[in-house]
Amino acid sequence: MSTVYNPGNLPSNDNLNRFSFVIDVKDQMFIRKGKMIAFYGGLSFEAMGTSIVDMLVRHAFNAPKYIHDFVVVQGGGQLILGDNGNDLACYDLDAANMTVRAKNLLAFTKDVICQESTLPGFLTMIGTGKVIASSNGPVHFLELPCRVDEQAVLGWADCPSPSYRYDYEHVKGFVSAVGAVTGFTLSGEEKQVDFTGSGTVLVQSSELGLAGSGVLANIISQLSSLAPTELSMLGTSVQEVMKQQRR
Amino acid sequence: MPAYQQINEKMVEVTLNNEEIFAKKGAMISYQGDVAFSRSFLAGQGIQSMAMRAVTNEGYALMAARGTGKVFYAYDGLFVTIIPVRNETLYVESDVLLAFDARLTAGTMFLGNQGGVQGIVRGAVSGQGLFTTTFQGNGEVAILSDGNAIGLPVTPEVPVCVDPQAYIGHTGNISSSIVTDLNWKTFVGQASGESYQMKFSGSGTVYIQASER
Amino acid sequence: MTRFRTNTDRLLEVTLQDEKVLAIAGSMVAYTGSIKFEKSLLGGEGIFGAIKRKVTSEGMQVMQASGTGTVLFAQNAAEITVIPMSGEKITIESSSLLTYDTSLKTGTSFAGLRGAASGQGLFSTTVEGHGNIAVISKGNLIMLEVTPSTPLRVDPDAFVGFKGDIKQEFVFDVNWRTMVGQTSGESYQHKFTGQGVVFIQPAER
Repeated sequence: MSTVYNPGNLPSNDNLNRFSFVIDVKDQMFIRKGKMIAFYGGLSFEAMGTSIVDMLVRHAFNAPKYIHDFVVVQGGGQLILGDNGNDLACYDLDAANMTVRAKNLLAFTKDVICQESTLPGFLTMIGTGKVIASSNGPVHFLELPCRVDEQAVLGWADCPSPSYRYDYEHVKGFVSAVGAVTGFTLSGEEKQVDFTGSGTVLVQSSELGLAGSGVLANIISQLSSLAPTELSMLGTSVQEVMKQQRR
Repeated sequence: MPAYQQINEKMVEVTLNNEEIFAKKGAMISYQGDVAFSRSFLAGQGIQSMAMRAVTNEGYALMAARGTGKVFYAYDGLFVTIIPVRNETLYVESDVLLAFDARLTAGTMFLGNQGGVQGIVRGAVSGQGLFTTTFQGNGEVAILSDGNAIGLPVTPEVPVCVDPQAYIGHTGNISSSIVTDLNWKTFVGQASGESYQMKFSGSGTVYIQASER
Repeated sequence: MTRFRTNTDRLLEVTLQDEKVLAIAGSMVAYTGSIKFEKSLLGGEGIFGAIKRKVTSEGMQVMQASGTGTVLFAQNAAEITVIPMSGEKITIESSSLLTYDTSLKTGTSFAGLRGAASGQGLFSTTVEGHGNIAVISKGNLIMLEVTPSTPLRVDPDAFVGFKGDIKQEFVFDVNWRTMVGQTSGESYQHKFTGQGVVFIQPAER
């Protein structure tokens, strides 16, 4: 049987298992809302915008779009983080920079500055400290040069910002006849993220199964034939279904 | 032969040496080297197979990767398992295919062949189409599963019964039949179609996943 | 006695020798040998069983597998943990229980006003006696000890169960309310005091 943990034998600033991480809270840290699983001790969580944390926030959190997803934890205790059964890993930055997908960022120490990356949906972490991020399955590190499906990019470190590359060669012959039959959708092979230079890319199994779902492709291809009122009705139906699926 | 390597439970790396493999559309997540991608259909035998596929809606768009380099495949956070095919026939549901060697002979098998009318019933009810995909020859097939897939050995003395919605595929000299258990039928499970099970007897391996479709 | 064993983290193997075991309806993925599956009644037979089921209406259907052979159980690729019990009592979220020995006694306990929004019914299941139970969780189950000097706070969606002499309270912390996470209704936490062990999963329901 596995171990029963208590404040005495919990790992300190380390993974508890693949899916959880224990932070020994002494200093202030930024934590993503909703990722706290449990904690021992006396910890308080302050939202951004309250005066206590203003000074800290102005310096370290330079990404207004994402600020409301995070809170500051302070006090003393042990905090266990988890993200929906995703793998968690801690990345140590030493006067370095690392860019990571915003929704996978779970926590970071206060000496790390967080800014929006030029690639939408990503945050760049600069400085010295720890960054804790989740991934769908274990992270795989790739060396440059390489091309990656956008959904599979978890982040990158020590390399120049990537660019998009469009691979239309294989599509040219098909578009005319077969394209209509197979349902032409962006499958990830057409638009790739191109990394050149040196550094490391962090890769995970895809976030979304966008292509390959016949139903979705079917629906999308028919959207243009809907009138505006029908489109808004569709929107409402989608909301209903999504609400049901979350339960 | 392309070399398949399991990077982690959700990702597989295929090394190509001027070779070709087919993979599920949208599953390529990264590549290095000189690799060209083109669309393809599930390779089959002749016009008859194409026609059958059109009728049954099993037309499955694949991406062929050809060249020299490394290609990484993963899909939607699903688990990946590499199944070696060694001079035998692998039966596998086409919707769980991730990647496979171009050198394998792919075909479609009408489920009715294995067990007559019962085969048709099974296909229709489990919603997996009337056809399943077969692979023959020497090579590897990478499959997707919700949760890990495990192979259960089937021996003449020990036949194995499987929930159809957990079934992914099988290899070996196996015959399949449907078992309807009256007691079982009275029992409305969470998933419909639980009123029957698939029974495998003979010699080989059945692959199942840790969840129901 | 039935043998419970996990085969990889997500499959449970139960070996029966002319024995029975109870499990969530629909969780069987494969079996060998001669096994019969029947509907079973949660809460037991008789009028008290019927009342319990009516009150909880947790939508949980249970089936019984009996015979000789090996049965494989799984549920939505969730991780499975086997907990052997020797006489104690465990309280567990009904939706987290996968399989359990018929030798164990099950009941329901009122879990207090947890709020409709959390999606976790008003009742939990209690299991008591000698035997094995298998619990499912999203991500491996984590066991945390609670002692009089070290109380524990837990996110409601991560809570799976507990055993021992534990008092469960709901804490509505103003600061915490700022932490409305991805799931709505997260304006409270569980606080555990006393002596025992709490089971949590590193995920939301």
